[in-house]
Amino acid sequence: MQLFDAIALTMVVAAGLAFGVGATSLARAEDVKALYWLIVGIVAVQSAVQIARPRGA
Amino acid sequence: MNEAKPQPADDAETVRTPSALGRLIDLGGAAQACIPGLYAWAVTVAPVAWAHGASAFAKVTASAGLVSLAAALFLEHRRPEDAPRARAVAVWGFSLSSAMTWLVEPSAMSLLKIDAARGFAGMLGWGLFAFACAAPPVRRDEANEARVVEGPPLRPRTRLARGDVAIISLGAAIACVLQVVGWRSGPAERAILVRLVALACGLAILGAATDVALARHVRRVPSPRRERIRRAIPWLSILSVLVVARLAFLVFTGK
Repeated sequence: MQLFDAIALTMVVAAGLAFGVGATSLARAEDVKALYWLIVGIVAVQSAVQIARPRGA
Repeated sequence: MNEAKPQPADDAETVRTPSALGRLIDLGGAAQACIPGLYAWAVTVAPVAWAHGASAFAKVTASAGLVSLAAALFLEHRRPEDAPRARAVAVWGFSLSSAMTWLVEPSAMSLLKIDAARGFAGMLGWGLFAFACAAPPVRRDEANEARVVEGPPLRPRTRLARGDVAIISLGAAIACVLQVVGWRSGPAERAILVRLVALACGLAILGAATDVALARHVRRVPSPRRERIRRAIPWLSILSVLVVARLAFLVFTGK
């Protein structure tokens, strides 16, 4: 496993944490906080995919 | 004297016993769908229909779900060529009767009364029912079975790398953990929203984990680090801005 794969995997885990916090906030009716963490999760997922993706894929 | 000697193929047929998987496949699509259907019914429909104070109509509609499963089983067993019709009976009869039961007793289906374990079990049961209905295995063709030449098992062209299994398992675990969140949220509308969001988040995590695992093997022409960083910079920038904004918010509000 290369360094960039490890970074991408870490970002996937971070995205999972962000999604978890977002869903929990949504359940507690803290909508702004939920929106923030869900956006963070989406951006983290996209970053992970872009870092892991090989050239031309 | 010409005595009819038994053919070797006949001997093989008498000796051959179908495996457990073979027997399950021979059951047919509707019968396979009945097993997870019964499970889903027991977890999500029966507790509603036979809850304290539930109406008799709810019990009737819940029983109609079981009847539709049994009817599908009977139809398929009697005429195997009517398997699509039997599957339609199972899908529509069972789904509509379950939906009717929930509509008749909406208070029993309140998410406040469902604990996370039961909700997760119900999701699993309905998911398996949908999968068994949508993609039943192909039945064994008895007429052409004699033409099948037994040979050594096929060797895969490549083996799944150990790292891939770990990465995808990690993604699946995170996606499963996300489904546990938010089962005690107040109104039904918000609870449904939380479930939808958690489901979408789980799918996104699973997709990203699969992408990361697959990307390790497509790298015949490794892309330079600079190019990868350049591609990820917009997303990393947005992420940095969000993190900094959050920190600033925490500092200024003191929360």
